[in-house]
Amino acid sequence: MTAAIEMRGITKTFGPVKALTDATLMVKSGTIHGLVGANGAGKSTIIKVLAGIYARDSGTVMVQGKELGAITPAGIEAEGVHFIHQDRLLVPTSTVAEAIFLRNEPRFGPFINHREMYRRSAELLHQYFGLELDPRALISDLSTAQQKIVQITRALANDAKILVLDEPTAALVKKEVDNLFAVLRRLKADGLAIVFISHYMAEIEEICDVVTVLRNGTDVGVVTPSDVGIGQIVEMMTNRDTSEMYPRRKAAIGGPILSAKNLTVKNTFQNVSFDLHQGEILGVTGLLGSGDKELLQTLFGEIDSDGGEIILNNAPVRFRTPVQAVSNGIAKIPEDRRAHGVATGLSVGENISLASLDQVSAKGFVQLGSEARNVDALISELGIMTPDRQTLVKNLSGGNQQKVVVAKWLSCNSQVYLLDEPTVAVDVGAKVEIYNLMNRLATEGKALIFLSSDLEEITEMCDRILVIYRGELIGEYKHGEIDSDQLLAVASGATIEERKSL
Amino acid sequence: MSVQSEISAPSARRLDSKALAKLSIRLGAFVAFGGILLYFALTARGFTSPYNLMTVVEQSAILGFLAFGMTIVFAGTGTDVQRGGIDLSMAANAGLCAAVYAIMMREGYGNALAIPVTLCTGMAIGLLNGIAVVTLQIIPLLGTLAVMNIAAGLELTLTENTVVPVKTPLTKVIAFGSFMGISTLAWCLIVVSALLVWLMHFHRIGLRLYAVGGHLEAARAAGINTGRYIYGAYIAAGLLAGITSILIISRLSSSTPGTGLMLLPILAAALLGTVFSRRFIPTIGGTLLATLFIGFLANGFQLLGISSYWVAGVQGALILLVVAVTSFAKRN
Repeated sequence: MTAAIEMRGITKTFGPVKALTDATLMVKSGTIHGLVGANGAGKSTIIKVLAGIYARDSGTVMVQGKELGAITPAGIEAEGVHFIHQDRLLVPTSTVAEAIFLRNEPRFGPFINHREMYRRSAELLHQYFGLELDPRALISDLSTAQQKIVQITRALANDAKILVLDEPTAALVKKEVDNLFAVLRRLKADGLAIVFISHYMAEIEEICDVVTVLRNGTDVGVVTPSDVGIGQIVEMMTNRDTSEMYPRRKAAIGGPILSAKNLTVKNTFQNVSFDLHQGEILGVTGLLGSGDKELLQTLFGEIDSDGGEIILNNAPVRFRTPVQAVSNGIAKIPEDRRAHGVATGLSVGENISLASLDQVSAKGFVQLGSEARNVDALISELGIMTPDRQTLVKNLSGGNQQKVVVAKWLSCNSQVYLLDEPTVAVDVGAKVEIYNLMNRLATEGKALIFLSSDLEEITEMCDRILVIYRGELIGEYKHGEIDSDQLLAVASGATIEERKSL
Repeated sequence: MSVQSEISAPSARRLDSKALAKLSIRLGAFVAFGGILLYFALTARGFTSPYNLMTVVEQSAILGFLAFGMTIVFAGTGTDVQRGGIDLSMAANAGLCAAVYAIMMREGYGNALAIPVTLCTGMAIGLLNGIAVVTLQIIPLLGTLAVMNIAAGLELTLTENTVVPVKTPLTKVIAFGSFMGISTLAWCLIVVSALLVWLMHFHRIGLRLYAVGGHLEAARAAGINTGRYIYGAYIAAGLLAGITSILIISRLSSSTPGTGLMLLPILAAALLGTVFSRRFIPTIGGTLLATLFIGFLANGFQLLGISSYWVAGVQGALILLVVAVTSFAKRN
């Protein structure tokens, strides 16, 4: 039987960065094939080569026994291969129905049959996801999860034979993930080949029949997850023992440095009070829309509070802009690194120095020597995979871009660090490096607020955990007092009785 | 493990206030349009006479056609008009086409040859824009500015900056003819508007063109040949410039220098039109409304005896206002 996808000897370079070296990917029909690897291992690149977004430097690609020359996005779709890219590739100004049926529009003579398009969109969304979404709604008005679902629905509406999903569950909640997996199993039974890329190892184990592991742009093994288990796959990915996943430090916690007293932002959160101490990692978690993100934004001066006060070093403060927060020694590592964190057109070195130009400047000039020393030290400490500090950030992989953001704020010597989902869409190896960094900062006496929806890392890494539910601070736990299952129950609003039964 | 949440109604509150802001901007545009018409109707003598209204509609045909061309370019190169493409050569192209048509008529070629050559001239300038923007990847603002100068230069070379009179049966029919009580120019506007509404909003070509302009990567990933669509948009705009040139000649009975000055009203109409759309994108209907609005504004000023020099200033202010308001609405 011929393979659905057969990619051999694929090589691709971006400027000086080698993204893929002689990589191979073989996928059979009727299977769900996992593709895993650390950030920068080349998962997204090999998929974009298959999608015709990047032209390969060398190597052969065969789809259902047919060898393909130069690949174009339209050409590969004609071969029955459909992609759900990690970036939400949707037109923000189009409606849900238009996004689903783009290039496959139902027609009525020379007109687009809008009514049919709306009807079938609603039907598909309901059938596959049980979702009642207005097909006339604009994409820009949808949540991240809803946009992801629209993307998947689009591929399903196009009768894909081979489905490639790049991090499809990143923004989905448990119920949607379960729905998606049910859909994928049904499609597999129908004989589709499905390539499934994910950072969530539990999902890989749950859904994949076979897994190809990539490391540094090359495939290092094809394994069956039910035989080898997650541990071995992660080791293959990182060359690292998994017991080092959550490094813990001996905490030396000092006095309070930042406090909130009855902090309130109307319609968002109310009466939130807490103290943050020197040398402490304080975890904050909550459901999407619980107000936890806004709490961080308020502390950083991005949102003005409607009541209560913020006390920094025993003095009340009120930040109206992030600039004031930064000048008072508060740093924030934003979640969306592309939108907020890095200037992708600048070099690694320039990005790292951006927030700390005051410290590397003297008499109005940037002291290039001291800048370079500072930058090189951070690059090697964080293990940023870059040929040198002059490389443009856009030529790095996602995980390495995130490390650049972290390095940028590390170099500016703040006293309080607000970390908004610093490990989202980052691979296991990079995660550990970010945890180590957090530990180092805390050991140096800095105070950290660590916002994350990954409850395992919250329970493992934090000295204390605050849980926000519908804008209220409903729980505070010391390290070891609560496990991630119980934390999930609290965060999703389970009653006291339900919590006890856990 | 991840935190669970409801996805069906995330941040419903913010969505509502956002929708409200958008709605108020759209309503505001309609109210301002209606209010200004009402003001003129009450203060400007003869504003509401059927003759005057018809004149405005006729005048709007020319501006409307050119603004439609700009709208198509906006749709295909970036519905976010500030970061997307633009066709600055639109008005100069119409001037060049008019010169080509007038010179060919003067030299004794018939309509059978002159009209195709005129339209092809318009499309050739559009093609040039396409080459600059798509193939050479010059930013549209600069690429089409250069093409604008090429077109303006060619026009001057052809006419030597003089008025070239044209009178043919065809131009007479366009200028003075009428059918069912509606003049030819008004018919042109109605028919072309309807055709473009169909193409842009009810045909798959339009949907795909908007996808290309809305998110180039997404359109490419959906398998759309984005370069071809952007070329097509510029060429279609060029074709519209060619058609418009014949209307201009018909109204003025000549090819006259100065058509290039229409660039500002064209931009104003196409940009103002975005305020009338639910998605704040350029649409044919919105551009038509905006064209009529600008037409009535100029007409009202005239009837009130206000210097026509003010009109250009008002159009410039409108561009600033619209771009500020829509980008504000999009940011929230």
